[in-house]
Amino acid sequence: MANDKSSMQLVANGILKENPIFRLALSMCPAVGISTTVMNGFMLGVAVLFVQVCSSLTISTVKNFIHPRIRIPTYTLTIATWVTVIDMVLAAYMPEAYSKMGIFVKLIVAFAIITMRLEMFACKEPVGASFWDGLGMGMGFMIGMMTIGLVRELLGSGTILGYDVLGFKPLLFFILPSAGFFVVGLMMAFFNYIEIFYKRQKGFKS
Amino acid sequence: MKNIFTIIIRLTLSCLVAAFVMGLFFVLTSKAKKHNEHVNEEKTMYSLLGYKDVASVPQTVKLYAVYRYIVTDLKGKSIAYLVPTGQGASVGFSFITLDLDGKLIDQKPVTVSADDAAEQESRDKAIKVALGSGKEIAYAEDKTIIVTENGARTAYLINGKFPGFKASISVMLALKPDFGIRGMAIVEHEEDPGLGAEIEKKYFKNQFIDKSFAALKTLDVVKEPLPEGYRKSLEGPLDNADDEKILQQYKDHAIYALTGATISSRSVTNGVKGTVAKFAYRINILDNVLKEQNIVVPF
Repeated sequence: MANDKSSMQLVANGILKENPIFRLALSMCPAVGISTTVMNGFMLGVAVLFVQVCSSLTISTVKNFIHPRIRIPTYTLTIATWVTVIDMVLAAYMPEAYSKMGIFVKLIVAFAIITMRLEMFACKEPVGASFWDGLGMGMGFMIGMMTIGLVRELLGSGTILGYDVLGFKPLLFFILPSAGFFVVGLMMAFFNYIEIFYKRQKGFKS
Repeated sequence: MKNIFTIIIRLTLSCLVAAFVMGLFFVLTSKAKKHNEHVNEEKTMYSLLGYKDVASVPQTVKLYAVYRYIVTDLKGKSIAYLVPTGQGASVGFSFITLDLDGKLIDQKPVTVSADDAAEQESRDKAIKVALGSGKEIAYAEDKTIIVTENGARTAYLINGKFPGFKASISVMLALKPDFGIRGMAIVEHEEDPGLGAEIEKKYFKNQFIDKSFAALKTLDVVKEPLPEGYRKSLEGPLDNADDEKILQQYKDHAIYALTGATISSRSVTNGVKGTVAKFAYRINILDNVLKEQNIVVPF
C-alpha cells in the first residue's frame, strides 16, 4: 500500500473522513459511557490520543521484527504498556481528573480503534505517516467525544464546561448512558448528510 | 518448530522491553504519587476535624501521631507503640512495648525528628537503632492521630480497612474522646458505581455522625427507605433548627441500607463498628500503661 497522502491529509482523514466514532463506529462503549460532559470527553480523548500516537510510532518502528503470527498479542502488549504509562502519569500529576476517570483510562487497552489502526496502518506504513495517522485518529476520537459531550452536557444538565448556560436542566435523560446512543446516532446522520451534500455539489459542478 | 522458538523469544523480549518502560515510568512518577497521597490524606484529616486546611488550624490545637508496631523476638510476639513523650517544647519519642495482656515490657527512648517519624522508612530505622539487635519490628499499618486543644483531648483520627462487596474499603474516622463518631470519610473503595459506590455520598456516610459508642456496639442495618426529611438534613447544609432536630431524632437509629447495595452498607457498618471497638480497647490499654508507669505524654 503506497502512501501518497500528505501529513495534513492524514490528520484530516482521521478527523473527518474516517472519524473513529461517527464514520467507523468503533469504540462506542466508552463513547457513550464517559461523554457526559465536555471535560470528560476531552480528558479521555487526550489519553487516547497519547496512546494512539505512541503505539502507532512503536509498531511502525519495529514492524519488520514482528512475527506475523503474533501480531495481535504484540499490539495488545504495546497498547497496554502505553496505557499503563499514561495511567501512572495521570495519577501522579492530575489526581483530581484521575479520580473521576481512572477506571476508563485502564479500559483504553481494549479500545478497538487503536488495535484496528495498528493493524490497518502502522504495520505497513513508514514511521512519519503512522505518526500523522495516529494523531489524526486520536484527534478525531477526541473531537468526537467532545462534541457528544457538548450536546449531552448542554441538554442534560444545562451547562458547558461546568458553567451554567441555560439556567435549567432541559432533559435529564441525556446524562444517562442510553442517551449517548441517541446523540451518536444523530451525529452519524449529520456527518453522513454532510458527505452526501458535498458529493452532490461536486457532482453538479463537474 | 522453528517458528515456536522465534515466537517465544520475540514475545519474551517484547515483554521485557514493555516491563522496562513501565518500570521506568513507575520510578519517575512514584514521588509525585506519594506526595498526592500525602496531600489527600491531610486534606481528609483536616476536613474531618472541620478545618479547611493546615493554616486554619488554631495554635491551641495540636496533632500527635501514635504508630502501632508488632515486635518479634525470641520470646514471641508483642505489641508496641511509638508515642510522643514529654511536654511543651521538649517533645521526644518513646517506643513502648506491651505484652499481649497489656503489661509493659519495656520503654526505650527513640531519637528521631518529627518529620522523620512521619516517614515509615526513617521511622523504622530509628526504632531499630533504639531497640538494638535481636528484635524484629513490623509496622501494623495502624496510625492514630490524637487531637488536643489546650492539652485536653478533643478527637481521635483513625484509619480502618475492611472487606467491601468486592475489594477492601478504607475509611478514615474522626472519633470524639468518648469514642462516639464525629465524622467519616471513605478514602478508597472499589464498589460498583451507582450502587455500592453511593457509600461515598453524604446521605449514607453522614448517617454515622453522632452515633454514640454504646449505640455503635449494637448498630444494625435496616432495609427501609430513607425518610425524606432525614436525607435532606444529612445532605445539608442545615437551614434551620428543624433540620437539627431531625438529626437528633435519628441520632442512634440503625443505618438505612443503600438501595441495591445492602452488602456494601452492611460491610461499612460492621467495619466501622469493628474498627472503633478495637481502637477503643487498644487506646484504653495504652492509656492505662502510660498512667501506671507515669510516662508523661503531651496528649
